[in-house]
Amino acid sequence: MMTTIVFFVAGVVASVLVLLCCSRGASTNLFHLTLIITATVCCWMMWAIVYLAQLKPLIVPILSEGE
Amino acid sequence: MGDYRGLNVRRDRGGCCPPMDLMRSEAMQLVRIIVPVESAHLTLSYLGDLGLFQFKDLNADKSPFQRTYANQIKRCGEMARKLRLFREQMAKAGIAHSEMAMTQTRIDFDEMEIKLGELEAELIEVNSNNEKLQRSYNELLEYMLVLKKAGEFFYSAQSSATAQHREIEARQIGDGSIDSPLLLEQEMLTDPSKQVKLGFVSGLVPKEKAMAFERILFRATRGNMYLRQAAVDDPVIDPISGEKIAKNVFVVFYSGERAKTKILKICEAFGANRYPFTDDIGKQMQMISEVSGKITELKTTIDLGMLHRDNILKNISYQFEQWNNLVRTEKAIYHTLNMLSLDVTKKCLVAEGWSPVFATSQIQDALQRATYDSNSQVGSIFQVLHTKESPPTYFQTNKFTSAFQEIVDAYGIAKYQEANPGVYTIITFPFLFAVMFGDWGHGMCLLLATLMLIFREKKLSSQKLGDIMEMMFGGRYVIMMMALFSIYTGLIYNEFFSVPFEMFGRSAYACRDPSCRDATTDGLVKVREAYPFGVDPKWHGSRTELPFLNSLKMKMSILLGVAQMNLGIILSYFNAKFFSNSLNTWYQFIPQLIFLNSLFGYLSLLIIVKWCTGSQADLYHVMIYMFLSPTDDLGENQLFPGQKTLQLVLLLLALISVPWMLFPKPILLRKQHNERHQGQSYTVIHNTEESLEIEEDHDSHDHEEFEFSEVFVHQLIHTIEFVLGAVSNTASYLRLWALSLAHSELSSVFYEKVLLLAWGFNNIAILIIGIVVFVCATIGVLLVMETLSAFLHALRLHWVEFQNKFYEGDGYKFAPFSFALLADEED
Repeated sequence: MMTTIVFFVAGVVASVLVLLCCSRGASTNLFHLTLIITATVCCWMMWAIVYLAQLKPLIVPILSEGE
Repeated sequence: MGDYRGLNVRRDRGGCCPPMDLMRSEAMQLVRIIVPVESAHLTLSYLGDLGLFQFKDLNADKSPFQRTYANQIKRCGEMARKLRLFREQMAKAGIAHSEMAMTQTRIDFDEMEIKLGELEAELIEVNSNNEKLQRSYNELLEYMLVLKKAGEFFYSAQSSATAQHREIEARQIGDGSIDSPLLLEQEMLTDPSKQVKLGFVSGLVPKEKAMAFERILFRATRGNMYLRQAAVDDPVIDPISGEKIAKNVFVVFYSGERAKTKILKICEAFGANRYPFTDDIGKQMQMISEVSGKITELKTTIDLGMLHRDNILKNISYQFEQWNNLVRTEKAIYHTLNMLSLDVTKKCLVAEGWSPVFATSQIQDALQRATYDSNSQVGSIFQVLHTKESPPTYFQTNKFTSAFQEIVDAYGIAKYQEANPGVYTIITFPFLFAVMFGDWGHGMCLLLATLMLIFREKKLSSQKLGDIMEMMFGGRYVIMMMALFSIYTGLIYNEFFSVPFEMFGRSAYACRDPSCRDATTDGLVKVREAYPFGVDPKWHGSRTELPFLNSLKMKMSILLGVAQMNLGIILSYFNAKFFSNSLNTWYQFIPQLIFLNSLFGYLSLLIIVKWCTGSQADLYHVMIYMFLSPTDDLGENQLFPGQKTLQLVLLLLALISVPWMLFPKPILLRKQHNERHQGQSYTVIHNTEESLEIEEDHDSHDHEEFEFSEVFVHQLIHTIEFVLGAVSNTASYLRLWALSLAHSELSSVFYEKVLLLAWGFNNIAILIIGIVVFVCATIGVLLVMETLSAFLHALRLHWVEFQNKFYEGDGYKFAPFSFALLADEED
């Protein structure tokens, strides 16, 4: 949950930064915003999937010999 | 200018979404420009600089020779040919043409033509002179050889002849016989009384033909000849062919006229060059000194000639690039001028073409400047036309987005103003690549490589690179994004050259008891919270690593796939909204959304619920029984209460959505078409003004025939494609799992079986060999082959699975008349 908020905040910060530094007309801003939102959502999804998969695992690591 | 009859250009956007930069093609308009003839050339020159106008060919039915400016193009062609000749000559002489020398002095075209003609004539003359001199020089060299070597024959022959002469005299005094061997006498050139008149031919023959030469001479003269040959040490440049050939000097002695003609013919046949020779020794010496003098003279003359030619070429090289550019642009201008149609009065040219709406003011500005600069009395007229033709598609891209747009365009150019998948491709393509590539060590290597390309951008873009390098340089931003995302997914998969790190906190797993007895049989236990970021490092190398990771990655692929396909369907909604096509919205978008989500969206939901609850339900069987026996009790496959009813509802929804996709749209289309035609026949009764208007529409509608069966079959195919595609496309996303597995397995094999093995030997030499093999294998297999492979599969996922939900891609690209693009084209 905490990490989700971190992702969300990172996305917001990134979009604000981009809007501040290279603001070039409304349509370009929307475009940059779309890119950042897409990237944030993709990254968050990947993290969330891997995290959820390990919450209540059905199998555990069985070490191999000689480890 | 505001015309309300533009049926094609939908100005009303449905008010759904604000405009976004790369999402839809720029608005294009068909424009007619009327230009007076005297300012036509200048107008086109300025428009070419601007590069925002695509000319339509108004003289398409004329052959190239019937066009107005065919002569001018011939002139340009001639000049281009001369320039090519210069370039060849410069390359042969090894003079590079300077890239710069951009002195912006405007060169007059006619003057340049004359100058080029002069230079060409001069160059050709100098070259032919050089050739002649060179040939004479080679001949003289050969003559020198003949003089030297043949001189040796005669000298040695003479000395032995005088010796034998003395012997014979001595014997003659003894015998007094007359039958001295004929041959001896023939060699006694100094004895005139008993001498038979012999002739000789001297020259050079190629060494490889020498044997055959001798044999044929022998046969032809029936043995009545004497041949002496001596090899020349170094190969000689043959005057005729100009190549270095190994030759022999020969002298043939014969008697009689017939033998002479035969021998001469044979010499010609064998390509043996003949040179005159005198038997007088005094004259020989004189000849030798004369020839040496001539040789040195010729050499200096030839050198001067070469110097002169090099000077000419050097002068050309300073201005070559400029001339080249000028000829190219002039040729382009005349080609384009040929596309304009000459008006009846022959005083002005009419041009039609497409240009973006935003460029209107720039074009009008260029027209005005041309009128002013050409001192024309009449200005040009700029007029917007309305047409049903489909405009070309134009996306304004910068150096970052152009590579991604090219990837999308390679599949098909977007139809005018439909949603551009390129917008999302900028992020999702590198992301899907990274899912398949996930290793932050490899990602960092890729990033370093591409950063090198990006930092030397300016220098590399002006150079001429090889094919592969060109592709890599063009895609440098794509590769950079791919590398960045790979570093991210590498951190999530916890793989650094297949080695995991415990960077984000403590691992969740530990031994059951301090002695770790059961670690290899029963395994570890989960003692803490799940590892906060990424895959737990304890998994790597364990025996249950593959079952766990496979399950994780397969489910992840399905989730990502369903997400991307839903995005595709939503984009089709935006398209329908933009083109105000409510049929598509209600009878295509909604049933598609329902179908996909009630089956595979539900599967995704089940996956997430199973993860959250840790249930042991088998999702495979859940889905299968949902179809086969939906009303049965779920038993241990129950994941949440109310599952059975939910499954029944979803199944029903999916079943309804199929005929929903199939039937209503063709029927409604037919109704619409009939209404339009019905409506027509009513309005013809009205007053004449309106009927004229409707006449036009009526004509255009007559072209649109409506075949119900065709439309229905089209819709049927579309429906079947979607329904079957839903299953196959979802399964297709499993390649994300497959490639990711392949990458991590390869990586761990290289690490364990090469590096660790070499480390285990405790020997420096083996270690170094191991490191070298590891580096080569990593670069060759993982960084090159795997990159290409993952690139290709990510591309396929975009082109097929993502784009077939909404993309039509049957447009054509905007190809403006632009001088900047000309330069790229030629190279």
